[in-house]
Amino acid sequence: MEINSLNPIDISLSGLQAQSKNIEIISSNVANAQSTNNGNGQPYRRIEAEMTTNTENMDGVNLDNIIEDMSEFPTIFKPGHPSADERGYVKVPNVTLPTEMMNLNIAARAYQANTAVLKRYQQMVETTLELLR
Amino acid sequence: MSKVNDIFDVIEVGIRAESLRQQTIANNVANLQTPGYHRVDVKFQDVLAKAMESSEPVDLDNVETEVYCPNETQVKSNGNDVSLETEVGQMVKNNLRHKTYVRLLQKKYQQIELAMNIK
Repeated sequence: MEINSLNPIDISLSGLQAQSKNIEIISSNVANAQSTNNGNGQPYRRIEAEMTTNTENMDGVNLDNIIEDMSEFPTIFKPGHPSADERGYVKVPNVTLPTEMMNLNIAARAYQANTAVLKRYQQMVETTLELLR
Repeated sequence: MSKVNDIFDVIEVGIRAESLRQQTIANNVANLQTPGYHRVDVKFQDVLAKAMESSEPVDLDNVETEVYCPNETQVKSNGNDVSLETEVGQMVKNNLRHKTYVRLLQKKYQQIELAMNIK
């Protein structure tokens, strides 16, 4: 492993980027919580972030994959709706707002945690530099 | 292998490179929303390392800092690849390096002063 005294900063940054992408995903779910048609006659399918890491290189977190939540679409009775089937039921997105809000909280806290690490590491390097005084 | 280069010159080149990098970061942040903009960075460490490795003494005035497009970050839908997080991180690193150079310079001056006081 390459020794680089500024590596913790890069790791914190990867965390920040992953969490901001995660929040983007959550906001997409919340915004589409009522979208009954994605253009192909299906309702919006909830998406989720998949975070991966490489333990050998210790180079932070990656968020390259966005996976779809394959759980079943709930149906509601709405006979006048353009997407309603012959019995009057409409498939709605498999997004549950309370879950999204919890995930948003977790993501925001994780973002905050990464900035805390970044800030503390910066202070640590500055203390080291004090030795040069 | 030691070089005849004056430590002051080395630090000066470093500080100059860091201020140029600060400028590129400011430019990147200013263009955060500009469609099609690609972030720029300064290639300095590699250039300096190459110069220091060569067997002849190097003329540090010729160590040219290079501005280039790294194209490493993800491109957004508007063709822009600036991420605010990356820029903030670069700025923190830049700040720390700058501080290091300035402290080294300060230390060097202290040493000179110390040497002058000995009678």
